[in-house]
Amino acid sequence: MNAAVSDETLHAFIDGELDVAECEQLLARMRNDEALSRRACALRSLKSMVRLAYTKPPAAAARAARALPKQRLVQRCAYACLVLLAGLSSGWALRGLEAQVATKVPATLPGGYQMISLGGEPDPSRVMLHLDSSAPERMLTALDQAERLLDEAEREGRAMQVEIVANSHGIDLMRAGVSPYAARMAKMTQRHANLQWVACSQTIARFTSQGQNVELLPTARAAPTAIGEIVTRLQQGWTYVRV
Amino acid sequence: MTMIGKLFFGPFRPSIEALRPVLYRIAYAWCHDAALADDLVQDTLSKAWTRRAQLRDEASLKAWVVSIMHHCWIDHLRSRRDFDDVELWQDTLESPTESPEACCNREQVIACVRAAVARLPLGQRQVLTLVDLEEFSYVEVAGILDIPVGTVMSRLSRARANLKTLLDNTMKQPAAESLLRRVK
Repeated sequence: MNAAVSDETLHAFIDGELDVAECEQLLARMRNDEALSRRACALRSLKSMVRLAYTKPPAAAARAARALPKQRLVQRCAYACLVLLAGLSSGWALRGLEAQVATKVPATLPGGYQMISLGGEPDPSRVMLHLDSSAPERMLTALDQAERLLDEAEREGRAMQVEIVANSHGIDLMRAGVSPYAARMAKMTQRHANLQWVACSQTIARFTSQGQNVELLPTARAAPTAIGEIVTRLQQGWTYVRV
Repeated sequence: MTMIGKLFFGPFRPSIEALRPVLYRIAYAWCHDAALADDLVQDTLSKAWTRRAQLRDEASLKAWVVSIMHHCWIDHLRSRRDFDDVELWQDTLESPTESPEACCNREQVIACVRAAVARLPLGQRQVLTLVDLEEFSYVEVAGILDIPVGTVMSRLSRARANLKTLLDNTMKQPAAESLLRRVK
């Protein structure tokens, strides 16, 4: 355990070749060993320097366009025909779908909020509201927004999933004994099965280390990190709204 | 039938063509000569295209194409000089650029790093650039260059150590100069 860490191990570490357990062990050692972390740091900066040096290699002089050999031309024609055929047939197959898609009206979002999604088109029927402030009006907005989305969907018979993610001071919303809206939240959860409350465990850990006792409302669950939760949801195609 | 098979098996032309910038970056890092790098890439792409039916796993397309480029590069070196054995200069050959000492300007860190990388022995340079520029895993690099994983690790280790010494030497010089000026 206390043997000196070899250069090979450090290289493997910065290249992401170590498994999770080895990584954690090394990180734990680095916390106590300043020389070791300096070595890792130097290697990492060396690596990023090399990367940087070749991000924009000088361009070669433009080469003359080569004529395509005949065989390749035939292949290209074949491709083109295939694409044309695929387009025609998929157009024919999808002709009925168009009407359905058009009726799927996206949920309206209040002005000023941006919609982003990592998974291509944001799915308006799965919305994540991110709250990071304990200001009462922000909390209220989050609750109103969630309620409005769910009610609207219910009235129109659409499926709608809403998740409220809280970190930083926004977590107050989900703390038992602190939250000013605990009763309303319980009622909302009862009414809508598709409403989730998620709190950031890192924030909880931070608050706890500052001597505060953090207890979540029974309706809320804790995720390892709020950012992780948000990114996962975005990748799943959720719509992100910052309150 | 074979014609149709050729058309459908193996990656499509755009997916190979899309690797061009990646290949060019690696080729440039290997030879530090824009025209030669461009030729290497062109060679590699056409070889990859004709051999595309040999690729078994589509996910390893990038590693497969880079390994083709490695062979093109070795072929090029063989044809350029009358070396008896590639293995012999695997650890010695430097690419011809000005020495890193020539460029020690702070704004020219990039040029410095490139010059230092260019002075690394060929084998070390290849391993270093594959790992650092394209984030290939050690196993993939071993596959591309057709060497054991242990060799990848030791070459990488030596490459980074050499690079650090080369860069330290270059970076120290301007610092010493400015110190002298102050005393004056």
